[in-house]
Amino acid sequence: MSALEVKNLTKTFDKIVAVDNASFEVPDGSIFGLIGRNGAGKTTTLRTIMGIYLQDSGEILFRGKPVDDSFKSMVGYLPEERGLYKKMKVLDTLLFFAEVKGKSGKKLEKEALKYLKRFDLLDRKLSKIEDLSKGNQQKIQFIATVLHDPDFLILDEPFSGLDPINTNLLKTIILEKKKEGKVIIFSTHLMDFAEKMCDHVAMIDNGKIILNGSMQKIKHEYAQQNVSINYEGDISFLNGHPIVEKIEDFGNTTGIRVKNANQTQELLKLLVDRNVTLKKFDANDISLHEIFIQLAGKPIEELTQEVSHV
Amino acid sequence: MFNYRIAAIIKRELKEKLFSKTFILMTVLIPVLMFGIIGVQAFIATYEGDQDTTIEFITDSIEMESAFQQEFQNLEFIKNGYYKVTYNTMNREQFNEYLDAKKPDLLSEKLNGIIYVSDTAMENKEIEFYSKTPKNITVSEKLSGTINKILVANYFADKQLSSDEISYIRKGVDFKSYKISEEEEIKEEGYGNMVLSYLFTFLLYISLLMMGQMVMQSVMEEKQNRIVEILLSSVNSRELMTGKIVGSSITGVLQMAIWLSPIMVVISTAWLSLPEELLFNISFNQILFLLFNYFLGLVIFLGLFATVGAIFENPQEAQSGMWPVMLLIMIPFFIALSLMKNPSNPMAEISSMFPFASIIVMPARFTLVDVPVWQFIVAFIVNVGTIFAIFPIAGKIYRVGLLRTGKKPKWSEVVKWIKYKY
Repeated sequence: MSALEVKNLTKTFDKIVAVDNASFEVPDGSIFGLIGRNGAGKTTTLRTIMGIYLQDSGEILFRGKPVDDSFKSMVGYLPEERGLYKKMKVLDTLLFFAEVKGKSGKKLEKEALKYLKRFDLLDRKLSKIEDLSKGNQQKIQFIATVLHDPDFLILDEPFSGLDPINTNLLKTIILEKKKEGKVIIFSTHLMDFAEKMCDHVAMIDNGKIILNGSMQKIKHEYAQQNVSINYEGDISFLNGHPIVEKIEDFGNTTGIRVKNANQTQELLKLLVDRNVTLKKFDANDISLHEIFIQLAGKPIEELTQEVSHV
Repeated sequence: MFNYRIAAIIKRELKEKLFSKTFILMTVLIPVLMFGIIGVQAFIATYEGDQDTTIEFITDSIEMESAFQQEFQNLEFIKNGYYKVTYNTMNREQFNEYLDAKKPDLLSEKLNGIIYVSDTAMENKEIEFYSKTPKNITVSEKLSGTINKILVANYFADKQLSSDEISYIRKGVDFKSYKISEEEEIKEEGYGNMVLSYLFTFLLYISLLMMGQMVMQSVMEEKQNRIVEILLSSVNSRELMTGKIVGSSITGVLQMAIWLSPIMVVISTAWLSLPEELLFNISFNQILFLLFNYFLGLVIFLGLFATVGAIFENPQEAQSGMWPVMLLIMIPFFIALSLMKNPSNPMAEISSMFPFASIIVMPARFTLVDVPVWQFIVAFIVNVGTIFAIFPIAGKIYRVGLLRTGKKPKWSEVVKWIKYKY
């Protein structure tokens, strides 16, 4: 059974449809990526799963049953725009966020101190949040997300605004939790991360799920008709060629999609015959980014446009 | 309805508020400030600034002059030199000339006033007062009693009355107040309850506004810092609002209890004795009712303040949203003050059981008049009813507002929020 199942979820604001009849499943023990560009409906989907928004229609099932307030206690949620009580002390902050999840006591405090020690923040346990650096505040945020030992981690654009150290730290936490058998759901517009980390993905565009399934299967399916090449010469003759469905220039590489999976060898022959110097010819290879462009038509925003958040 | 999530929020609110410097400072400072303000007000009201007043007192006849001079010499403010009075005797014609000559002195305030008591005043008590500022009533207030005394004495001098009879004629009326209590007892009443009534009114008014501001700011902080999304991933907005308001209300009631503790000490023990005219008559149950009533009031008003805080993002924007709530506190405050004049006026009676107003007006009223038990019960039911009436709407606006960012919403939009499915 899936750990979490989203069925025909729709959520509108005024007249804007933010999530449009979205369905996907999150299998147990997986890292699940919700991928899409900014404004595609990722945050709304996650907020609805968390019960922060009420859906207009559709269902969210947790191990087969509709989610309720008790589900919230099982989740560690890290929103994209992260905030803490500025005047509160570090340890108090951690204990408070665990307490609203129903966890308290000496054992929890010990656990909190263990995390602080691990992240080199033990000596700051009595500092006020506002006296910490931005990077350290982010660390506190991570600890607050996982301290109550949730079965689920739901992370909304977790890597946005992080410095390289914290990016690695968060990756480590995610992989650790996966090893412990927890389910991790995160949304991102960074295809690279998703590709490296996720077992399962769902792509969302304009509120609609345009693709969903296991990474392996998706790649396999899409790669069969796909060839990525590095070359010198002129390949303009391929435009409109009967065996070619689409040519995309990704900068470093060019992706060519043939109409049938068995036409890749024909394509190779064609290129060689036309004296195109091939540096690389890689059949059955496709990046998540390429799949996204194929499906959504437009490339996703680049990393450089990223605005940093607290 | 009540669960560990609400408990955690309440705990945090209490911890944050009770141990904050602001709370401790305010608890100490407000009474100091209040008595300070009352003191300053009393000082300003009694300050007349009439030192070095020079007055010329002119009479028609020499007999009158000596009579006035004799009596005036005994006046405190003349004895200690606050007022310098010179005496003169002139008839009407002479006086008119004299007045013409003295006009420059009056205008330059070298001379503050000329009082002319003509012989006709013996019959009709009309005294003439010439001054640059004749409306300065401190002069007439200070002198009219004495002048009247002499005129009366002069009038009856040849009527062969005994001095007893004359002193009776001079005497004013003294209203002695006796209160018939519900138990049909008769007690002479001092100013104590009046003072208490003022005290309650001011304390309730100030602390409602203060607690309200505090809650509004903390809601805005949560919204601004984006803590709210993390909170809402653990608790729902109803739990968050409940925890916040209950936590702050407990803080407020505790503070009020601290302020009122001297009164409770006076009621329950004998080791603090008050001067007789300040003795007050209030029961322990009435104080308890006040605290309980205030708790309900806090829940109501903090709910409104929290809602306003959720709608707006910063204090500047919130100013415009705050005034309707402020009015709901200020109008009852003025009604409570007006009640001091006539505690049994119908407006006071109705508003002591009226939604929102009851919180401030009822305590002011029950310290001055005996309020029947049924009215206490009605006030209680009305307040609880108010809570049930406003919270579904306030909660909805709170929930929608919390996650809204961007431009300041219009009132029409806020009304729309109530219909949202969120």
